[in-house]
Amino acid sequence: MVSVQFRTLLIVSAILRVVLILYGEWQDAHMEVRYTDIDYMVFSDAASLMMSGKSPFERSTYRYSPLLAFLLIPNSILHRSWGKFIFSAADLLVGLLIRMILKLRGVPEKLSMISVIVWLFNPFTFTIGTRGNCEPIVCALVLWVFICLMNGRVLQAAFWYGLVVHFRIYPIIYALPILVILDPHVFQPGQKPRLQYWNRWQESPQSSSATRLAQLLCPWFLLKSALTRERILFSFISAVVFFLFTGLFYHLYGWDFLYEALLYHLTRTDPRHNFSIYFYHIYLQYHRKLSILEKLVSFLPQLIVQVVLVLSFAKDLPFCCLVQTVAFVAFNKVMTAQYFVWFFCLLPLVLAWSNMKLKWKGVSCIALWVGGQLHWLLWGYMLEFKGQNVFLQLWMASIIFLAANTYVLVSIIRDHRFSPVFAPLEKTSKDSKKLK
Amino acid sequence: MRSESSMKVETMKARTSQPSATVAFSNSFLLGFVLVFSSAIGFCTLSSAHYSTLQAGTSDSNYDGGGSNISAFSRFNRYIMQSYYEKYENLFDSDFQDFVAQELPFGLCEVLPHDLSFVVRPSILHRNLIGRGSHRHLTSSIRVNIKPEPIYELPTHHCELIIIERLPSGVFADPFELQHLLQRGAYNAIAVFGDANLELPSFLSNRTAVEVHMDIGHNFLLRHDKESNINIELPLHARYPPLDESGYWEVKFGMPDLFMRCSMEGTSQNQSCLYKMPEINGSELGYANLVWKIPSGMKAHAGIVSTLTFVAALISAIAIAATSIFHSGVASGKHLKES
Repeated sequence: MVSVQFRTLLIVSAILRVVLILYGEWQDAHMEVRYTDIDYMVFSDAASLMMSGKSPFERSTYRYSPLLAFLLIPNSILHRSWGKFIFSAADLLVGLLIRMILKLRGVPEKLSMISVIVWLFNPFTFTIGTRGNCEPIVCALVLWVFICLMNGRVLQAAFWYGLVVHFRIYPIIYALPILVILDPHVFQPGQKPRLQYWNRWQESPQSSSATRLAQLLCPWFLLKSALTRERILFSFISAVVFFLFTGLFYHLYGWDFLYEALLYHLTRTDPRHNFSIYFYHIYLQYHRKLSILEKLVSFLPQLIVQVVLVLSFAKDLPFCCLVQTVAFVAFNKVMTAQYFVWFFCLLPLVLAWSNMKLKWKGVSCIALWVGGQLHWLLWGYMLEFKGQNVFLQLWMASIIFLAANTYVLVSIIRDHRFSPVFAPLEKTSKDSKKLK
Repeated sequence: MRSESSMKVETMKARTSQPSATVAFSNSFLLGFVLVFSSAIGFCTLSSAHYSTLQAGTSDSNYDGGGSNISAFSRFNRYIMQSYYEKYENLFDSDFQDFVAQELPFGLCEVLPHDLSFVVRPSILHRNLIGRGSHRHLTSSIRVNIKPEPIYELPTHHCELIIIERLPSGVFADPFELQHLLQRGAYNAIAVFGDANLELPSFLSNRTAVEVHMDIGHNFLLRHDKESNINIELPLHARYPPLDESGYWEVKFGMPDLFMRCSMEGTSQNQSCLYKMPEINGSELGYANLVWKIPSGMKAHAGIVSTLTFVAALISAIAIAATSIFHSGVASGKHLKES
C-alpha cells in the first residue's frame, strides 16, 4: 500500500518537523519573540490544571474540548513539547490519509505524490503543527470521515463526524453535502459503494442546477429523498455522539464548558484586527447592540454562498468541502491564519481533477493570495507595532484580501473537472430480469 | 455479454482485495481511539470528583475563628492588592486611597520601628514608557535611601519593596507574561489584579493593578547612608480604546505607590511590618505626563465602513454563486455536445 517513494517522503517530512520543534524550543529560550503559538501555552496550562484535578476552563481563553487538554497531559509529565509531537504526527497522518483517498479514487502515482507534497511541504502546514496548533488533528478526523464514507462504513463515519463537530464546530458545514452523497442508489445495505475512478479528460454528466433547484424546492420530492435509511442513520448517530460528548463534559465541568467551548464560537465578535472584512465594522459598532436585521444581513452573503456551492457540487464531496471551507473562512466574522489549514488539507484531494496549469494561472492565484495577506500584514504591523492609526487602510487591505480570495475561488471552480466520488450501483436483479 | 460480466466480476474482486489493508488500518485506528477515549473519560471523571472536594476544602480554610484585635483582616495576604479586592470590587483611585489610609495595618510590629517615614526616603530616578505600538514597557528606576539618623539596635531583618502600579483604563498586563518574568528571576513576586481579559475593549473592562515585590536587602534599615536602586520593567499592552474623533486615545500614567515590608529573620511573614512610603510628587520631576497614545477608531468612518463592507461581501458572494451555477450548467452542456 505504501510505496518506497512515499515512505521516503514521510520520513523526510517527519525529520523536518522534528527539526522545527527543536528549533522552536531554542527560539523560545533565547529570543524575545517566541516560536511557539500562544494557544499552545493555553493548552498546556489547561492540561496541567486537569492533571491536578481542576477544570481546564479555569485557564482563561481555553476554548476547546476537554479532550484536547487530556491529550496534552503528558506535557507536564514527560516534556512540554509532547503536544507539538502529537500535532506533527497528526500532520503526517493527514498526508497518509490524503494518499489513501487518492489511491481509492484511482489517481496515478505521480499525481498523488505531487498532491501529498502540496500538503507535507506547505509552509503554512508544517509551521502550524510545530508551533503547537491543534488544527492537524481536526483535519485528520475530517479526512477519516471521508475514507469511512468511501468504504461504505456509514456508522463509523457518523461517529467520527459527531466527534469532530464536538471538537471544532466548523465541520458542521459539511453536513449537507455528506447527506446529499448518502444517496440510496450509491449506498445499499450489504454492498460497498462503487467509487468513480480518476479520468484524465472526461467530465461526468450531472443534471443542471436548474433541475436540481427545482427538485429541491418541491417539498414532496425533498421529503421522499431526504428520509432514506443511510441519511437518517448518519444524522441520528452523529447527533447522538455530539450530544453525548457535550452532555458528558457539561456534567463534569458545568456551564464553563458550554460557554467557552461552544457558545463563545457561535457568538464570537472580536473587534481586534484580523483578516476578516468585518473587524472594523464590529469595532465601530461595538458600543451599541446590533439589530436583528443587521445581524441577518451580515450573515446573508455567507448563507447564499454555502447553499449555492452545496447545490452545485455536493456529489464531488472533497471539492464541495474545499470550496465551502474557503468561502466559510473568507466570509467569517473572524479570520486568522490558523483557519487556512482547514482548506489546505482538502486542496490536495482536488488537484488531480484541476485543469489549472501552474504557469501562469496557478502562480497568479498563489501570488495574489499571498500578496493580499502580506499587504494586510504590512498595515497590521504599522498599527500594532508602530502605533499609527491606519484602521481605514487596514480595513481596505482586508477588502482586497477578500477580492483575492474570491478570485482564487472563482478560478478553482472554473478549472475544476466535476467528478462525483460515487457511481450508482447496478441493480443486478432487475438487469438479469431484463436480459431474460 | 459473458466477457463483460466476467470483467465486471474480476474488477469487483480486484476492488474487494485492495481495501483489506484499509480495513485493517481502520480497525486498529478504532481500537486505539476506544482505548484513549475510555481512559480520557475515566480520568475526567476522577479529576472532576477531586475538583469538587477541593472546592469544599478551600472554603473551609477561609474561616478564621478568632477575633484578634491586632490584625485588621482575618488572614494574612501576601499581596496588598489581594486585601483590597477582598473589600472592593473595582479599582478606583478614591477607593484605593481610602483603603490605604484606613484598612492597612501599618507598623504593627513590636520590635521593628513603627514609623519609617522620616527614615526611609524613596525617589524616582527615571520613569519611561518604551516602545511605539500596542505593546510597550513601563520602566521605573527607584532609589531608596536611609537617612543618616540613629536607629536603635535592630534584630536581623529582611526587607522587600512593594511597588503597586495602578494602571490606567485601557492598558493591561498579561499575567502569564509576568509569570514568565518571575521564572527568569527578575522579581521576588509579581501579581496582576483586576480585569486581565485580553480581548475586551477598554470601555468594557475594569482597571488592573500590578503588584511587584523586590528584595531590597538584608538588614536594610541598619544601612545608613546607603542606597538601594530598584529597576522595574513591566510589559504592558493596550486594549482597543473607545472611538475618538482625533483617531488617538490618550492614556496617562500616575505615580506608583510604594510600600516596604520588613520581617525579622526566622519568623513567618505573618509577623512582618508594612510601611507606606511617602508620596512622590511626579509633577516636580516631570513624570506626571507619561502619556500613551493608542490608535482608536473614528466615529466618522462608521457609515461608510459598514456600507462598503456589506457591499463588498455581497458582490463577492454573487460572483462566487454565479460562477458555480454557470460552471456546473455549462459543464453538462459541453458533455452533451461532445457525445
